[in-house]
Amino acid sequence: MSRILLVDDDTEQTDMLSQYLANEGFTVDSAHDGETALAKARSGRFDLLVLDVMLPGKNGFDVLRELRLQSLLPVLMLTARDEDIDSVVGLELGADDYLPKPCNPRVLVARIRAILRRAGGNGPEHKAPQTLTVGDVELHTGTRNVLCAGRPLTLTSTEYSVLEVLLREAGQAVSKTELSERALGRKLTRYDRSLDMHVSSLRKKLGALAGGEERIKTVRGIGYQYTRP
Amino acid sequence: MRSLFWKMFLSFWVALLLFAGATLFTTSHYLEHAQRQNEASSPRERLMQSVIEAQLIAERDGVDGLKQWLRERDRREPLPLFLVDSDGADLLGRPLPASVNERLAREERTPRQGRVAPRPRLIIRLPDQREYRLLADFHGVTLGRVLARPRVLALPLILATLIGGLVCFLLARSLTAPLGRLRRAAEIYAAGDLSARVAPSLGGRRDEIADLARAFDHMAQRLQEIMSSQRRLVGDVSHELRSPLARLQVALGLARQRTEGRGTAELDRIELEAERLSDLIGQLLSLAKLESGVTTVAIQPVDLAELLEGVASDADFEARAHNRRVTLSSSVPAVIEGDARLLQSALDNIVRNALRYTADGTSVTLSLTREHAPTEHWCITIHDHGPGVPEAMLPLLFEPFVRVGDARDRASGGYGLGLAIAQRAIRLHAGEVSARNEPEGGLTVIVRLPVINPTV
Repeated sequence: MSRILLVDDDTEQTDMLSQYLANEGFTVDSAHDGETALAKARSGRFDLLVLDVMLPGKNGFDVLRELRLQSLLPVLMLTARDEDIDSVVGLELGADDYLPKPCNPRVLVARIRAILRRAGGNGPEHKAPQTLTVGDVELHTGTRNVLCAGRPLTLTSTEYSVLEVLLREAGQAVSKTELSERALGRKLTRYDRSLDMHVSSLRKKLGALAGGEERIKTVRGIGYQYTRP
Repeated sequence: MRSLFWKMFLSFWVALLLFAGATLFTTSHYLEHAQRQNEASSPRERLMQSVIEAQLIAERDGVDGLKQWLRERDRREPLPLFLVDSDGADLLGRPLPASVNERLAREERTPRQGRVAPRPRLIIRLPDQREYRLLADFHGVTLGRVLARPRVLALPLILATLIGGLVCFLLARSLTAPLGRLRRAAEIYAAGDLSARVAPSLGGRRDEIADLARAFDHMAQRLQEIMSSQRRLVGDVSHELRSPLARLQVALGLARQRTEGRGTAELDRIELEAERLSDLIGQLLSLAKLESGVTTVAIQPVDLAELLEGVASDADFEARAHNRRVTLSSSVPAVIEGDARLLQSALDNIVRNALRYTADGTSVTLSLTREHAPTEHWCITIHDHGPGVPEAMLPLLFEPFVRVGDARDRASGGYGLGLAIAQRAIRLHAGEVSARNEPEGGLTVIVRLPVINPTV
């Protein structure tokens, strides 16, 4: 049973949502401000954090930033519908996905399940533990560890999933639609920039190839391609 | 000058005074000149001079030269002269005035005799021995003749033209220049720039026009305040509506869990309406943000051709389900600096609107071209095969919640915000969007985006 921490300053909303998630089979705890949220999230008792951006005191971004210093706990950000920039900032700070508010609780549950699948390594990609090696990058599907030139990388579960799909298809272009379905576990939506953001942070973490070439290339009009050396 | 009233009053007054003065001056000058001539010689002596002149002409150029000279002289001088032959007929065939006829008759009745020294006769003799007598009609010097001689009136007329012209030019310019600025400001304001003001451009002017400009600015200021507070209200209300809506959606989810499949139709309906409400609030917030200018524009190179292709193929996918198509008829490589997401949502809104109106079984046609007039710009057209829009509605098409028809729009699910959002987004990119009815039917929406670097 997955344990979820729900952080939102609207207590009425949180109570109802907790109940809804409980009915869907999750164990739910909630927090209504940034400090409490951070303390609870760091406790290690949770599998996933649903984090609203607008919080009194320490806002959602601050919580995420501080959390990411020491934890890879999967995070789903709830952003205001009209603040596109929020989703970008959230993903840059290492959120696994985002959902604009107000949202349909069914969609929320679907997103939570997709993230948990990725984090638990139970995705459709998962069969027997194996090691993918492309150039100097090694990805161990059993332990979900990634080594780049022998150096271990710290990736969020979503970044890991995106990299895994790209490495499996290394040398070939993967369309955004396919990447979204295989790595994020959901259909690509309109104006969705989360894939671009995840790829962008992957590029930063991986660095360029020895020759200065980009590891993950943008294939115009299609999607992304991992460069096979 | 403080007041336009005094400016106009004094300008006309001074112009009239100057004109009157100039007229008086030239008239008196002319009269003095004439008097000096009179003092220098008697009228008779001056007539004698004319005779000598005429005699010279007659000997040199004959009768034709004499006629020419007489016509010339008559045009110049107010005093009418006649050259009368022995039969009493004028050289130019003019009827003789009564006073001249009388004089001729009187001389005939009293023929001159030896007791009086014969006055030298004013006679011109032609080479063929014909004789003409020069007669002056002193009663013929009328005001009409004086005024009709340009030499007398030329100076006052020139002065009137110059002085009047200069004064009127300065007056007209000082009146129309600020009015032109006022008109331009009003046009800019009407075009949507609510920060347009006039008074600062009028400098230290303090007359009625400056008052008008200040009144305009005051009105503009008030309108801007009202508009922005209204926009803020729309934004705030939409914002506040989201929390209850979010709770409503969760409550709905809970109800679904609890009923386990019973009452699904009603719950589906509630969910649909909640989604609609959510969409509407989202659109209202987008519009409020675009209008308040706080939208964060992420400027980056945007491949317009690729973006349009994406919009076309996405819309086509959805349109097929409704027996309609979206096709991209022509395209050119085009890259602009802008916010891809905003541009995409703008084009998407326009294409969706076109799809809503295009007839069943027809297609919406998109094209991307480069145009050179009036400036270098990318031109995207979105043409549908629908009923078009009444001409009077065309300029209102991009206002929020403007509907062309009623029932049909509601049934097709539009909120009347799509085109308004599109226009604001295009304007943020220094572009313009317009619409026109095609003669063969259907509406074409035209999006123009400036080519930033024409050499690319």
